[in-house]
Amino acid sequence: MTAATSTPVRHRSPRVTWAVPRGARLLRVELLRSAMPWILPLIAALFWFDSYRPSTATAPLYGVRTFWNMGQGHTISDCGPFVAGVAAWMGSRDARRGLADLVTATARPRWAAQLVTWAATAIWAVAAYLLFACVMFASYAREGVGGTPPWWWVAVGATAVIAFSAAGFAVGAYWPSRFAAAVAAFGAAIAMYLSFQIGFSHASGWALILPTNSNGNFDGSALTDAGIFYRWLPDLPIARMMFLAGIAMAALGLTGLPGRAGGRRLRLGAAAVTLAGLTLAGTAVGLVRTADVTAHGVVIPALHDSSSDTPISYTPACGRAAGVAVCLNPAYRRWLPDVTAALAPVLAEVAGLPGAPVRATQVPAAYAGGSLVITMGGHPTVLHLSLGQLNLPGPCGFCAGPVAANQFIGWIRLLFAQSFVGAGQGAGRPAQQAVGAVLLRGAGIPFAAQPGLMASAENFAGPVSAGCPADTKTGCGPGPSTGAVYAAAGRLAAMPATARRAWLAGHLAGVRAGRVALRDLP
Amino acid sequence: MNVEIGEVTKRFGRTFAVAGVSLETGPGVLGLLGPNGAGKTTLLRMMATLIPPSSGSVRLLGRDPAGYGPRREIRRRLGYLPQNLGYYPGFTVAEFVEYFALLKEMPPGRVPQAVATAIERVELGGRARAKLRTLSGGMLRRAGIAQAIVNEPELLLLDEPTAGLDPEQRVAFRALLRDLGQRATVIVSTHLVEDVGAACSQVALMDAGQIVFHGTPDELAAGGEGSGAAGDAPLERGYSAVLAAHRSAGAAA
Repeated sequence: MTAATSTPVRHRSPRVTWAVPRGARLLRVELLRSAMPWILPLIAALFWFDSYRPSTATAPLYGVRTFWNMGQGHTISDCGPFVAGVAAWMGSRDARRGLADLVTATARPRWAAQLVTWAATAIWAVAAYLLFACVMFASYAREGVGGTPPWWWVAVGATAVIAFSAAGFAVGAYWPSRFAAAVAAFGAAIAMYLSFQIGFSHASGWALILPTNSNGNFDGSALTDAGIFYRWLPDLPIARMMFLAGIAMAALGLTGLPGRAGGRRLRLGAAAVTLAGLTLAGTAVGLVRTADVTAHGVVIPALHDSSSDTPISYTPACGRAAGVAVCLNPAYRRWLPDVTAALAPVLAEVAGLPGAPVRATQVPAAYAGGSLVITMGGHPTVLHLSLGQLNLPGPCGFCAGPVAANQFIGWIRLLFAQSFVGAGQGAGRPAQQAVGAVLLRGAGIPFAAQPGLMASAENFAGPVSAGCPADTKTGCGPGPSTGAVYAAAGRLAAMPATARRAWLAGHLAGVRAGRVALRDLP
Repeated sequence: MNVEIGEVTKRFGRTFAVAGVSLETGPGVLGLLGPNGAGKTTLLRMMATLIPPSSGSVRLLGRDPAGYGPRREIRRRLGYLPQNLGYYPGFTVAEFVEYFALLKEMPPGRVPQAVATAIERVELGGRARAKLRTLSGGMLRRAGIAQAIVNEPELLLLDEPTAGLDPEQRVAFRALLRDLGQRATVIVSTHLVEDVGAACSQVALMDAGQIVFHGTPDELAAGGEGSGAAGDAPLERGYSAVLAAHRSAGAAA
């Protein structure tokens, strides 16, 4: 050891730009030596196998793809417990390593030093989370996934990561044991599990605040059309971010309360931060209790910005079916051939009949669900397709298997026929069912195949899934293909085409209005 | 005076770790000697502003550490090496010293030079980029000393600084102490009387929470002459004689 203070031998470290502020330099050292990067490969693997891969087995629309990983919060539950554990490890570092006295004996308040340590941990975790999310979305983009990414929900996930890191850090700071990391990670996993489970039983109210509760903008039959026809509403994400940020503030504030954290003024500041965090979290819970489910998602009046209600403008992708223009949102472009193939025979079958559509266009599915997949209206008649409510051809993550194009085509034809005969929100009257059966037969679906087709479509909003009308006397549906409905349909189908069309032209209005009974059919 | 302590006590439950210590000292090296449990570390921790006294007055560098503002000012000018120094295994030597330089709120522009100087002064320049986990016990101790002196403290508190150092390093360290003591008040708690003899201008001997001797090393050595006290060197004999005298006086009382 040298007593002299002469110019020392130059060595290469520390090699930094020294113009940066003191806090930034501390942060740089903490970032370099944080334990968080060591756990990131594990989180990345979990992210890949639990968040990303299962989502690729769903339809290539952002609303569907991200239901699993963002809506149900798998991205959060993949990161949260590990982030909390590592943060607890870092929070307990000084005491665990026997450096608490040394750090406390420095001029910088202990709380300020701890906050820098936490910040480095959180920066790593959030950066990794955002990187993983961006890589996932980039992969979706390469596949041509339709719609826009739910960035608000990514922000919720990032805030959740911050909250987990803060809570874990507080555990470590208060309980500087080698077991703190495991306890914090386990506690976070339990919290995630409870949040997830509560989502199954609580679809509204306070439970909407829970970060892995999928009820919210990711629920209902219309989830696929968020980010396609209308924007991802930010109301619920903002409330959840408020809640999570409040938890983070409260946890970090708690670490500043002990006597050795700093001076009285600083500890008062820490107490204020804690109280502010608790208030913020409580306010967020109060806000979600005022939430309403609207056609486009969850609206929280105090947070709602009406500019979010502006539909997303688009140039439709159009094709033709039996001479009728069929236009879809470009996010659904890949299914246009299936839709035109499905519509062509039924449109040809009804061409020239009263109420035959002259144009088909896609409409957004309403968030609350329950609307019909296919409706017709206007003069001249326009066919409205709410494809967001259907399982589309291709991968179908929550189905028994991939959806075959033929199955999809059958559903479209079935729903078209039921809409054309005016079955409305019910199974339809027997005469409507019989006429519908004839139209389907003309479109290539024999009577014998129709009951099976209806059974496979029972999950979709429309006549096949609705209850029986109160005044229906002959059962909810057409019954077996050997029953009375199909017998009448068989008689109508057996007529010469010209005669059948003439009968339909004269009686369709009565059929739609329910004035024609089964016995009135020729 | 950089250290002014008056009738300070520190109680842990029913035990008085420090029982009425008064001490005044200015620039120079003060060796704090004493057997295990004498209260040396507790006294150093009070001087490091880590724990407040139970009673009595403490003024350090002309300030009362009871107030947060003055305490923070003292800490800016303080160097402290605890007895059981921990370390961050993943930090390099340079990062470790830089980290504490920043925590001591050194002016940012001075940090790089100060870090390099401190590391050189403990002869770890060649290992500045080595991770702490790769260092030997003696090197770790030197890294600890480097962080203590990086801010060129006006008050330097070293608790067993030579533990783990080999003889050559101890000799070099004593020279460093003497140099530091020219400008700052250096208080060294140690069991090793030879360190005191070689590096300290003053020595205080503690026993049972009290300072039982305060003087120069020569005065301590003189106290042992002709006493028949155990020891291989004059300072050791003085140490033993003072302790024996204090204990016999205590027993008689």
